[in-house]
Amino acid sequence: MLTINRRLMLGLAAAGAATRLGTARAAEMLPHEKELYEAARREGQITWYTGQYQAEPSQAIGRGFTERFPGITVNVVRSTSQVAFQRLSQDMRAGVAQCDVFSSTDHSHAAFLKQQGRLMAYKPRNAAGLIQAAKDAADPDGYFQVTYLGLFLMGRRSDVVSDADAPKSWKDLIDPRWRGKIAVGHPGYSGAITSWCLAMRRLYGWDYFKALEKNQPQIGRSSADPVTMLNAGERTIGAALPSATSLLSISRGNPIKLIYPEEGTLMVPAPSGALKDAPHPNAAKLFMEFMTSPTYYEVTRPFFSESLRPEVPPPPGSRPLAEVKMISADPDELERDGQEVKELWRDTFGV
Amino acid sequence: MTETAAILPKAAAEEARRPAWLRRLRYLEPSNLLWILLVAALLFLVAVPIGKLLIVSFEQQGTGAFTLSNYATAYGRARYLEALANSLMLGALSSLLSVIFAVPMAWAVSRTDMPGKGFTWAIVMGAFIMPPYLGAVGWILLAGPNSGFLNQAWTWLTGLQAPLVNVYTFFGLALVIALHSFPLIFIFVKSALDLVSSEMEDAANILGAGTSTAMRKITLPLVWPAILGGIIVVFLETVALFGTPAIIGIPARINVVTTQLWQFFEYPVRVEVAAAYAMPLLLITVGMITVQKLLLARKGFVSQTGKGGERRPIKLGRWRWAVLGYCGFVGALAVVMPLMVLLQASFAKAWGRGLAWSNLTFENYAYLLFRHEMALTSIWNTLWFSAAAATAAVCIAVLVAYIVARKLVPFGSALAFLAMAPFVIPGIVMAIGFYAAYAAPPIALYGTALIIILAFTARFLPIAFANSAAAVRAVHPEMEEAARILGGGRLRTIARITAPLIIRSLIGGWLIVFIVASRELSAAVFLVGPRTRTMAVLLYDLSEAGNFEVLAAFGGLLLALTLILVAIGMKLAGRDFMLRRN
Repeated sequence: MLTINRRLMLGLAAAGAATRLGTARAAEMLPHEKELYEAARREGQITWYTGQYQAEPSQAIGRGFTERFPGITVNVVRSTSQVAFQRLSQDMRAGVAQCDVFSSTDHSHAAFLKQQGRLMAYKPRNAAGLIQAAKDAADPDGYFQVTYLGLFLMGRRSDVVSDADAPKSWKDLIDPRWRGKIAVGHPGYSGAITSWCLAMRRLYGWDYFKALEKNQPQIGRSSADPVTMLNAGERTIGAALPSATSLLSISRGNPIKLIYPEEGTLMVPAPSGALKDAPHPNAAKLFMEFMTSPTYYEVTRPFFSESLRPEVPPPPGSRPLAEVKMISADPDELERDGQEVKELWRDTFGV
Repeated sequence: MTETAAILPKAAAEEARRPAWLRRLRYLEPSNLLWILLVAALLFLVAVPIGKLLIVSFEQQGTGAFTLSNYATAYGRARYLEALANSLMLGALSSLLSVIFAVPMAWAVSRTDMPGKGFTWAIVMGAFIMPPYLGAVGWILLAGPNSGFLNQAWTWLTGLQAPLVNVYTFFGLALVIALHSFPLIFIFVKSALDLVSSEMEDAANILGAGTSTAMRKITLPLVWPAILGGIIVVFLETVALFGTPAIIGIPARINVVTTQLWQFFEYPVRVEVAAAYAMPLLLITVGMITVQKLLLARKGFVSQTGKGGERRPIKLGRWRWAVLGYCGFVGALAVVMPLMVLLQASFAKAWGRGLAWSNLTFENYAYLLFRHEMALTSIWNTLWFSAAAATAAVCIAVLVAYIVARKLVPFGSALAFLAMAPFVIPGIVMAIGFYAAYAAPPIALYGTALIIILAFTARFLPIAFANSAAAVRAVHPEMEEAARILGGGRLRTIARITAPLIIRSLIGGWLIVFIVASRELSAAVFLVGPRTRTMAVLLYDLSEAGNFEVLAAFGGLLLALTLILVAIGMKLAGRDFMLRRN
């Protein structure tokens, strides 16, 4: 008993020290950050178009940046990734430079912007400290970084579907047992679901979706819509759920359990890049440094998003990335075949 | 003295030397300048964005060269045409259902001694101020085939597993839309019924017609312009609706024009194709206005004259309870039931856990009010954008309605068309039109409050216009003519004679525009900037986040706020607003 208590106390003390260390580390600016900060402070602000996070965490990030770099405010323009990209396209068409940094969950957006020569070649120094998966998915020429990893897996209503009965793999979803039970997002609304379609097509061919259609899944819009359907009890199995939204829902007491599919959890890297004609170029660079620094992942951790820095632990309730079998979305495939699978989807499902 | 004398003849000589057209300016009434300003405003709000869209629809992406290929793409697939057909059918079914809901209620409230008129009015207001997408979510909770409360109760009562009602059907979609559109018809029809004096019904009664015959043959035909106007507005609003079809139509596998348009905005963005796809909707507007003209042609609907008339409620006897029951039934469908499930969710820790004390929390509201940095800003934005847009729209609409009704300018019907046209431009396309026309320098309105206010003004001009046109049409020119004969100028006549006669309708129109603007989603979502987010946009963000409890709480805040404002409006407008005459 005593030992357990002592161990507990030690643990707590260590955790406390770690937290203090964390704050201390967050407070001190690295030399290259300091240099940029001096120039950025004269610009005073930055405009960030983002579709990576929902409204709340986006605002928290903006606030976190201003806390770390006082005197620079962040205009957060949050929407879905498709809308953010549409807005940026409209800016470019109108010849207005408003946006400093652009973040999307659709890798092909960044690839397109790079190809059009719209992005700034700036490789943040902090990016060297990211986890390997993020470094691998970043642009080799430094035009954009991966600042968010979307994990997409399955979920079940734990009060209706027991662990033993639950589907174990993506393939299980086409079992007629799950007829009328499944909810899923739409590739036309969600870039992540497009990536999921491509991954499933790679594994099982398009016939997978023809079989899935026979199971009459409930189709929503964003990848988070099935979470809502599970919460409501309208459906009992969710396909391609985003881990962050699901974990948030679970933390609120909704009876949902995550299922890590046997073939692997889908990992979708989401890009961020500074614009070449950014109206606040130094602030844009500094924001890229911020997005690749540990502070960023400390700010987003309470919203259950994955940490891309080894220093910051994974969100509560989630398995560490190293222990999860992954299927990576292929950005080139998304760029090349994204439109095609959306059309295929519409032909198969009718919407 | 000499100086003045010297100057005067000089000025007169100068006057004589001026060109003839300049001298003629002196005979212009100040009102004519106003008409010119009005035409300019309509061009700016409607013609330029739509014109820009029209041009874009013939442009090749990138090069801007002339092409017809956008139209070929937009109509080259069966699925795209099917979406168009679905929208038309949906519009027709929704307006039919709206008429079935609204007209009996309007008649009961306006013409009969039915009890509980305040209650009925509250129901209509409730249905109206509830954003349609919020109602759609409520109905998913009620009539979802597996989880819906209605279906669960049905299974519990009968033991049958098959669902009683399924919201994910074409009829379900049309019903949910109608439950939030019928107030438009109600307001139009009730305003019109309020102007019909009992004398005409008395005449029918004296000649042997019963209550129902008099209603069918006399009262309803007199308010036919209002019913038709309402049908058109509901039809066009349904065709342009984005939120509800996205929430219910996609799971129901029903593709409509707006969800199809969204697809054209996907990467790679095909604004040109979307523009081409939206163009035939304008033809539908032209068609509907033509049909309205033909139907109303050569008949007189003037019910308000300078001679006054008496109004007495029709005694319904036992039937008044049946009529009240019908109003209550519509109210339960439109407001009470969806509101109850939404409230349950808004006070729940986790919505999936159902009704339980341990599941009760105020946290969702507390979070929005005290810790969410955008919630309060978006509420404030919504309020003042909507108020500004409503004021602008009503001012423009009443003046246009007036010059069209009194034929003060040539091509007046073209102005009416301009004022009506924005309704069939789906909000998303309207937003893109505004964006294309005004976001860039030299006007550079991107990210400002002004571009949203202008878009709202343009988008809801048709509501204000339909409302004002009906009001103006009901005022016989003889009263104005009397004022004009006695020497009053045009503006003075409007201010002293016409305005007081129609002010009640205008306040009603203002409130309608304010309310629909406050819940407008599709026009706002593309135009909001960092500091100009509205409640509807924030609600839409929340609806995608899977965080339903907070969404419901935010919806609750939106409703509470609008209710307070409506109450203030009723207080200010007093019996004008409630139309009570004891």
